Amino acid sequence: MSTSPDAVDAAFFDELRKHYSDDEIVELALFIGMNLGFHTFFGSLKFYPLFSPEGQLLTQEESEKLYGGAPSSLNEQGAK
Amino acid sequence: MTYVTPLPLDAITDSEMLELISQARVLGVPDDLFPRIIWRAPEQAKPIMRALLMSHTQGNVDHRLKEIIRVLLARFANEKYFASLRSRKAQETGLSEQRIDEGCNEYDDDSKGFSEAEKWALRFADLLYLDAHQIDKAFYDNLKKHWTEAQIMELGSFMVCHYGMQMFMRALGGRSGVH
Repeated sequence: MSTSPDAVDAAFFDELRKHYSDDEIVELALFIGMNLGFHTFFGSLKFYPLFSPEGQLLTQEESEKLYGGAPSSLNEQGAK
Repeated sequence: MTYVTPLPLDAITDSEMLELISQARVLGVPDDLFPRIIWRAPEQAKPIMRALLMSHTQGNVDHRLKEIIRVLLARFANEKYFASLRSRKAQETGLSEQRIDEGCNEYDDDSKGFSEAEKWALRFADLLYLDAHQIDKAFYDNLKKHWTEAQIMELGSFMVCHYGMQMFMRALGGRSGVH
């Protein structure tokens, strides 16, 4: 859906239906659509998680060092 | 025809969802097809419908500018369903198809008469899903010359909701008027 939406075609849905119901496919696609939108915008705002994986509260500078620069979702962009 | 069969409208009996569908009919975006698909996931459907409608019609950014941005994003997403729909509220307050096309394709052309604030908002929409690396500190500094931080969040959240659902409908093969 994000980097190659044309690949999500009838044949793809036929494969998906072997494992998921139509209701589950809609739930998955809604979740992906919302995250696809949010990650790019929030990535551009340059803010990072408040906590380390161990649960320690971090400053934004510490978090940037820990979690890295631009989110990988920004590396492959645009509906082709 | 969508890859996932839309539910019949009478399968939706939840009063809040029906009210949201009613509001969407008045606005014109989305039409009945979208809620009939997303009601397959009812726990997600209501907050998503609410977010689409609220982000489009409420806040402190001109609705007509948001409508141009919505169409710009849908065209960029190569998504036919939402790109074909139009806000009646925007049309009734003077937004023409010509102005939408100018906003999508020629907003930087001074002869088209877009204000600097409108140009920066349209540039924001143009770049966010094309090349977000260009939306850096310098870009936000320029945006803040024309828009408050609250308005920037309003614009960003609006784009997030609508672009995300445009990609959803593209994946599911939705087409306006083809139910």
